[in-house]
Amino acid sequence: MLLLDYQNVLIESILKDRFAQGPGSIDQVVSDFDGVTFHISTPETKSKILISISVKCFPELVQYGAQAVLEREYGPFIVAPENGYDFSVQVDLEALPEDQEAQDDLIRRISLLKRNAMAAPFEQAFDEFQHLQAEASKYTSEQAPQGVREGGEVRAIHYREEEAIYIKASHDRVTVIFSTVFREETDRIFGKVFLQEFVDARRRAIQNAPQVLFQNKPPLELQGIPGVNDSGSGDIGYITFVLFPRHLTNQRRAEVISHIQTFRDYFHYHIKASKAFIHSRMRRRTADFLQVLRRARPETEEKERKTASGRTFKVQG
Amino acid sequence: MSQSLRPYLQCVRSSLTAALSLSNFASQASERHNVPEIEAASSPEVLLNPLTVSRNENEKVLIEPSINSVRISIKIKQADEIEHILVHKFTRFLTQRAEAFFILRRKPVKGYDISFLITNFHTEEMLKHKLVDFIIQFMEEVDKEISEMKLFLNARARFVAESFLTPFD
Amino acid sequence: MASLNWRTINIDALDPDSPANFDLSSLTPAIAPVSTADVQALASQIRQLLRGGDSEGALQGALENPPYGADDKGKDIHLATVIEILQSIRQSDMSPMLSRIYSSPGGPEALDVLMKYIYKGMSQTSASSTTRNIAPQATGFSQIHSRGGGEGGGQAMSVLLSWHEKLVEIAGPGSIIRVMTDRRTV
Repeated sequence: MLLLDYQNVLIESILKDRFAQGPGSIDQVVSDFDGVTFHISTPETKSKILISISVKCFPELVQYGAQAVLEREYGPFIVAPENGYDFSVQVDLEALPEDQEAQDDLIRRISLLKRNAMAAPFEQAFDEFQHLQAEASKYTSEQAPQGVREGGEVRAIHYREEEAIYIKASHDRVTVIFSTVFREETDRIFGKVFLQEFVDARRRAIQNAPQVLFQNKPPLELQGIPGVNDSGSGDIGYITFVLFPRHLTNQRRAEVISHIQTFRDYFHYHIKASKAFIHSRMRRRTADFLQVLRRARPETEEKERKTASGRTFKVQG
Repeated sequence: MSQSLRPYLQCVRSSLTAALSLSNFASQASERHNVPEIEAASSPEVLLNPLTVSRNENEKVLIEPSINSVRISIKIKQADEIEHILVHKFTRFLTQRAEAFFILRRKPVKGYDISFLITNFHTEEMLKHKLVDFIIQFMEEVDKEISEMKLFLNARARFVAESFLTPFD
Repeated sequence: MASLNWRTINIDALDPDSPANFDLSSLTPAIAPVSTADVQALASQIRQLLRGGDSEGALQGALENPPYGADDKGKDIHLATVIEILQSIRQSDMSPMLSRIYSSPGGPEALDVLMKYIYKGMSQTSASSTTRNIAPQATGFSQIHSRGGGEGGGQAMSVLLSWHEKLVEIAGPGSIIRVMTDRRTV
């Protein structure tokens, strides 16, 4: 598994089971990346499955239009949020769509709950980009009024304790900035190696990929944004993705939004995986060294000693 | 093997062979104690002159002999941050298993990355030339291991980066 | 005095009979002190020989008069002289020259002195440049370079290492032992 899935696999499999096998009681809390928690349960009757999600930054997401996105995706299934959660949908097993394809689509949509909630600010930014692009095409670059040239406001999503995503639309691009914390020195250095490759990949192999930049200081786009840590210490890194118009077309945007959301987790996941691999490698190498050292011990083969009559002694342990 | 590595290891080998002439020697400071004199350093007359073998300023071996123990400290080449962290991780990994290694010192001597302490009890129990072989092989393999881990890390990083960016293409 | 933690006092250091206070000078034969000026004079004599093309004579001269009694500065000057001689001799000349010195009267002692200088020479580089900061990684393709190249002092060390190898062949490992045990340091 190299790339991360966009949907929540556990929810997907639970729903698949229920859809196929009919009603059954469920009560399960499911965790996802970035501190997101799901609660999937059957509070009233076994046929009515309630799926609730709790996201740390839900108020921010609502501010950037999450409600509209979620209503578009889940329209008739939305119910009042369960206590302690931010958003809930309910599926009635007795009122499922008839054909298989519509059922699968429903499962897929529900398992993408987190992705859809987080997608709102991206969608808003992409819309803003299209608007600004249309505006900007009316002017030459010198004449453009302040708002068009500068681009829109920066949307900040504080989706983790100390980490955030910042999204900013301009007339010719959308900039997505991830801030990420490296807990220890090794992570920081491994992260640097990985990011260097992200930066170089575009130059080398994938010309059409978004431009990736990496720095320890907050980029210029984030100047004056509250809550940005600009100490410039090595623990925090800022990774900037510059999405070009080719990534922002209507037919590609859904895929791009899903994919870029997984970046932070993908990135850290591979740092950890490399560490684990190197660790197991060192373990193996250490075993080799021990083998060499053991060779330094002279062979002390215990010869079986026999009495004259051919009987042997056993040493009592 | 690179050009200058062979004489370096050869020099370490002959120096070590010479230094590993140890005999049992009870402590003069406290009765019924028998401690490695090089660590105790309580009797200056049983400590010998330390030898340094170096290949360049980043790779060297310090051999500190005494009457009943020899301390060998190795400085491993670290060309950049990644190698530094890999060496650090690897030596820490080894020293945490010092128990199994008998001759490994739990803490390196200052200025070096890893230290061994060989006492007369080790040379009595184990074959001396094999101990020397072990140190030499260790020095060779550590270098190789660090380079390979670094190459692996770079290769993986590249692969990971390209896989992530390909869907955008 | 009440605040002094007397348990941490190293009483061995205060006891004249303790092994910790062993008088090391009793292990060395009496050495006449040598002044730095004398060492310098000797160094210039040897350089003259070296310039005249008589590197073997220069080496022998330098090894027969090690300034055991000199202070650190004098010793460093002589070390520099010896290293200079060693570096001026071609690799193919090393073994024959060492054999000739070894078979000459007083030769084995001279080679022991040479061994001392080789070890001292190798321990020297650290003093000149101890502060080495780790360079941040170079970018891009240069990441996958083989390690090595550009290390300080590598050239001088490899000369000493090959001398060491040849010397052990001729004088045997005993000379290394004598470097460790001889209290007369160079």
